[in-house]
Amino acid sequence: MLSATLHRICPPSDSGHPLWLCGFRPFFLFAALSAPLFIGLWIAFLAFGLPLPAVAGGPFVWHAHELIFGVALAAVAGFALTAIPEFTVTPAFGQAATRRLAALWLAGRIAFWSSGLLGAPVLAVSAAAHLGLLGSLAWLLAPRLRRDPERRHLAFLWALAALAACVAGFYAETFLDAHPGANPARWLHAALGVLMMLIVVAMSRISMRIVNAALEERAADPATGVTTNIEYRARPPRRNLAIFCIGLTTLAELVAPGARIGGWLALAAAAALLNLLNDWHVGRALFRRWPLILYGVYVLMAAGYALMGAALVLDGGFFSAGRHLAAVGAMGLAIYAVLCIAGRMHCGLPLDERPWVPIGAWLIVAGTLLRAATALPGAPAALLALSGLLWSAAFAIYAWRMAPLFLASRADGGSGCEGILIH
Amino acid sequence: MSLLRAWLAGLPAYLWSGWGAVASLLLLLAAWEGASAHYGALILPDPASTFATLHRLIDSGAAWPELAVTARRALAGLALAVATGSLLGLAAGVSMTASMMSRPLVTVLLGTPPIAWLVLAMLWFGADDGTPVFTVFIACFPIVFVGALQGARTLDHHLKDMARVFRLPLAMKLFDLYLPHVVSYLFPAWITALGTSWKVVVMAELLSSADGVGAALAVSRSHLDTAATLAWIGAVVGLLLLVEYLLLEPVKRDVERWREVGHEPA
Repeated sequence: MLSATLHRICPPSDSGHPLWLCGFRPFFLFAALSAPLFIGLWIAFLAFGLPLPAVAGGPFVWHAHELIFGVALAAVAGFALTAIPEFTVTPAFGQAATRRLAALWLAGRIAFWSSGLLGAPVLAVSAAAHLGLLGSLAWLLAPRLRRDPERRHLAFLWALAALAACVAGFYAETFLDAHPGANPARWLHAALGVLMMLIVVAMSRISMRIVNAALEERAADPATGVTTNIEYRARPPRRNLAIFCIGLTTLAELVAPGARIGGWLALAAAAALLNLLNDWHVGRALFRRWPLILYGVYVLMAAGYALMGAALVLDGGFFSAGRHLAAVGAMGLAIYAVLCIAGRMHCGLPLDERPWVPIGAWLIVAGTLLRAATALPGAPAALLALSGLLWSAAFAIYAWRMAPLFLASRADGGSGCEGILIH
Repeated sequence: MSLLRAWLAGLPAYLWSGWGAVASLLLLLAAWEGASAHYGALILPDPASTFATLHRLIDSGAAWPELAVTARRALAGLALAVATGSLLGLAAGVSMTASMMSRPLVTVLLGTPPIAWLVLAMLWFGADDGTPVFTVFIACFPIVFVGALQGARTLDHHLKDMARVFRLPLAMKLFDLYLPHVVSYLFPAWITALGTSWKVVVMAELLSSADGVGAALAVSRSHLDTAATLAWIGAVVGLLLLVEYLLLEPVKRDVERWREVGHEPA
């Protein structure tokens, strides 16, 4: 049903480890393994003072850089390498390209982590690795996105370009560190804004399938007594308004961090995201696990922008809590959902209906809420560690459940990225 | 009754769909904030200090009496306009001759600026309630009149014939045939008239009265108090937005949906 149409032309089958069968395999594994690792290191630093890799800008920059350009970028790369060929009905990318991109990602980690120790040349290598990863992705995807007759998915290319601009800005300002007014961290925040827009774009594609599958399932079940067939559609005007508002918010924060105008824009973004949920109110089918997880992404994103906006407008001290609702909550949950959905389907398996999936999602939500709660006055310091622990646990469980799939050949005879094969 | 039930059932979805409007309004506030940062607080105070001023006005009890006076005048003028405009408009719509005759008159009324009527009203009624009420009445009357006229003129003749053939009882003809159709034209006209009345009454007060929001605006202008001016404007616009989007717009949608469905087969 869900993937009847997903049977794709098999990619040129080059030999190699099953990990390289499809782009998502190494990159989803990177994301799922690095998320608990990076958060673990961060908690160890905050709670026990264990040193982090010294980087220009200090521990906060390391934390944001690694979670955005490490974890999130891995998820984006895995998603783009797998979904774009599917959306544009073109063959999957070869194994050599996947290996090159994975090497760039690893080079980025090693170079950035050692940049404090080895100095500016290695920082330049890190910049080159990140720009190389994004540039190669754009190079691979651009012809297919542009060849699509209606160019419906060109937004992914713009998002990659915007992310590359954020990387360039971050490293340029890091090199200018002594220069007064240099503020590399704002580029990391801008990258987070771009990722939020990318999530809205990507989720509109995923949700059409997931929510309608839930609706069909519900309509097919005689016990529910549902007769009318409601259809879910991710309507472009509402999505575009949300993307427009998030884009303005991101731009305002980049140009004038902490200005009140950014606060109003963030509140507008929150309202536009809640407006987006109008499409989602399709009745009880929404409460099935997959639609609910995706719905949660928007709710957390809206809450994050609302809190950030309120903090700027009312001069409250909870801006960071809002940012983490969006980053840890919305982005964390979106990455988790994409990893769960695309990771299974492109291994040729139906969606995982075992209980670990919702448990992981709830762990992310709980971790997010605890992280936001640390902004409350009198919150114990241990809350932060607990929040990180819960959040990391979700990705650790994912890696434990899914890594065996990614490291093994497909059981259904598929030889690449294709969805569930119909025999 | 069915109108009320439909209104209540559609309320949650309707309220949630308001987030789009909220987003647009917040973008407007952001633009306001940006303009305020650019031009300075004397020219344009920022939204936060305007809302703080408004909050102070409400807290001190200064706002509600003025708003009540203004609302009384606006609603009095509006009620007069709705009553006479609807009746005369329907009457004119029933007769081809009357509607032909009344169209140029309506054009004259619509074309005369409210400020001209205000000057006349000040000469006729002086500085009491009569001036704003009359100005509101004369500004709203043609809007309601035209709505009623169109409602009556566009009644479907086939439906009228059918009602005659089937010998529908008068009550049924009135409530199931004529009224829903006419209301679908009248109601939007009433809402437009409400918006007009609210704007015109403030203008009339500004120039002619010693109390009401318009008078308060005149005072804050003479004090060069931009924040208070914006606070009063915010109060007037906010009230209108609330009444229109929470009360009238859902009913209007329901009424107009009937019209759309009715026209579909044609």
